[in-house]
Amino acid sequence: MRQTYRLTSMLLRAYVRDRIALFFSLIVPLMLMVIFGYLNLGDFGRVSIAVDDQAKNAASQQLTGVLRGIGTLQVAELSTDEALGKLRRTELDMLVVIPGDFTIAPARPGQAVPQLIVYGDDARPQQVAVGRSIITAVIDRLSFAVTQTAPVVGVKDESVQGVRLRYVDFLVPGILGVNIMQLAVFSVAFALVADKQRGVLRRIMATPVRITNLLTAHVLTRLVIATGQVAVLLLVALLLFNVTIVGGLVPLVAVALLGTILFLTIGFALAGWAQTENQVPAIAQLITLPQFFFSGVFFSKNAAPEAIRPITNLLPLTFLNDALREISVQGATLWDVRTQILGLVVWIVLGFLLAVRLFRFERF
Amino acid sequence: MPAIVQVQDLRKRYGEIEAVRGITFSVERGEVFGMLGPNGAGKTTTVEILEGLRRADGGSATVAGIDVFRDPSGVKRRIGVQLQASAFPEHLTAKETVEFFAACYDLTVDAMALLRSVELEERAGQLQEKLSGGQRQRLSIATALVNTPEVLFLDEPTTGLDPQARRNLWDLIQAIRDRGTTVFLTTHYLDEAEVLCDRVAIMDEGRIVALDPPQKLIGDLLSRGFSKPTVQQQASLEDVFLDLTGHELRDA
Repeated sequence: MRQTYRLTSMLLRAYVRDRIALFFSLIVPLMLMVIFGYLNLGDFGRVSIAVDDQAKNAASQQLTGVLRGIGTLQVAELSTDEALGKLRRTELDMLVVIPGDFTIAPARPGQAVPQLIVYGDDARPQQVAVGRSIITAVIDRLSFAVTQTAPVVGVKDESVQGVRLRYVDFLVPGILGVNIMQLAVFSVAFALVADKQRGVLRRIMATPVRITNLLTAHVLTRLVIATGQVAVLLLVALLLFNVTIVGGLVPLVAVALLGTILFLTIGFALAGWAQTENQVPAIAQLITLPQFFFSGVFFSKNAAPEAIRPITNLLPLTFLNDALREISVQGATLWDVRTQILGLVVWIVLGFLLAVRLFRFERF
Repeated sequence: MPAIVQVQDLRKRYGEIEAVRGITFSVERGEVFGMLGPNGAGKTTTVEILEGLRRADGGSATVAGIDVFRDPSGVKRRIGVQLQASAFPEHLTAKETVEFFAACYDLTVDAMALLRSVELEERAGQLQEKLSGGQRQRLSIATALVNTPEVLFLDEPTTGLDPQARRNLWDLIQAIRDRGTTVFLTTHYLDEAEVLCDRVAIMDEGRIVALDPPQKLIGDLLSRGFSKPTVQQQASLEDVFLDLTGHELRDA
């Protein structure tokens, strides 16, 4: 116990002095969260729309006013030339040109109705489609009002989520998961392979140190660092993005630590296998990169092609992310995520067996 | 008193190569024992077997009365080692490095006293990776002394050091011997063996080809009618170098 404690405190001290390790375990995850948090990748976002009002009459102002009042739209008044330039630079999603003869009045037979011209950015077809349908709907309502006819069918909107889910709320558990993976796999593999190559492990093996104590110290060091990392990330998520964490912090941290242990076993297996430091990044990327994309970090895991989904659903990080997300977003308890926890435990057993098989201190 | 290191017919092979081919020797308590030989002679293999780091294929060896093959960790508890091509954990200071190794032995030590004994007291707070080559060798000896070992194994301790640091290390090794610790060192510097060692074993191709005090080996050679083709000068180039640059350590 005492030996493990002393070794852990030494390793921790060395770890926090290691600027590069600290950079990768704290600064990089923070950058990821801030960048993706602000990018709002998964969010549909608002449709930015320019209006060129060439009529400048009561009717055209009424239309512009209604458009401005719609939350999904971000309306600016621009001239057609200006707006087309912006459209080409994809700084704008749509342009609506209100013609000079624009009126909202019942059409008399034989008379041409005013034509709104709508330009859309082909690069953002979803936004353009939404914008078009909104404009059509607005015109319909205005027409109904003028023609004194009422809509035949009404639509009432209801939100599925009780709490409105924003992209950052979805993102933060994913960021936690991916960073736990990176920290555990890379920090253990790099540190131990470097120690192996430089002869540090040989020197330590020349002492009567108990190997289990040394390994436990390495594991505890990473668990402490991982807890600190989770704390910092959550703090930034709460302060900077006002993220909603519905579930409890205790189950969240418990699952995070379980995930850390899982990826540590993989790190140890890798450290046991690799003979030189150069082999580490290649294999570590091979292990982590697919999970980075297919385990639901930045977008839903269902974005993976259907054919490979049976596999991606069984990836270690998928279990971790699902559990973290269900706790964080839906307020799940540990019992609710028992399937994911079981998945993590199975992976821990597999990783442990692999690590024991590949990691041989005697060989150093 | 029995010899502190006893080796009987020790053998080790790596695939086709027979690194150690049945060597027998013993080291007396309190002496500085040197193992000489060209690179690849089997010195390091022999030492690493005695340190409990490598398994032998045959023979027997006891260190401080303990069978190395049966209880390597018992041997490790009683010896101090300085390995060739080894390193310390990074990002620890000199003092913390000593404490780290004390923790490996599960002992509490006065790290400052140990650093003082190798003249590194002033470097206690410095990161070990920032130390010079000579300082790191001295730190390495300090870490090898945390468990007040009965035998101190030094594998090529002065390789890569400048003449001043080398002489300084010799003084340190002699001081350790004077405190009663047996020292087992390997080297390929013959002058080092001549100055430091009470007895030397010369190894070549996995065998011990000679084992005696240095002066006796030289005497025997001369008595066989050997003479150098040139007249022995009273000073060497190293003497000139040390006369010009002084004996003081440059990195202390």
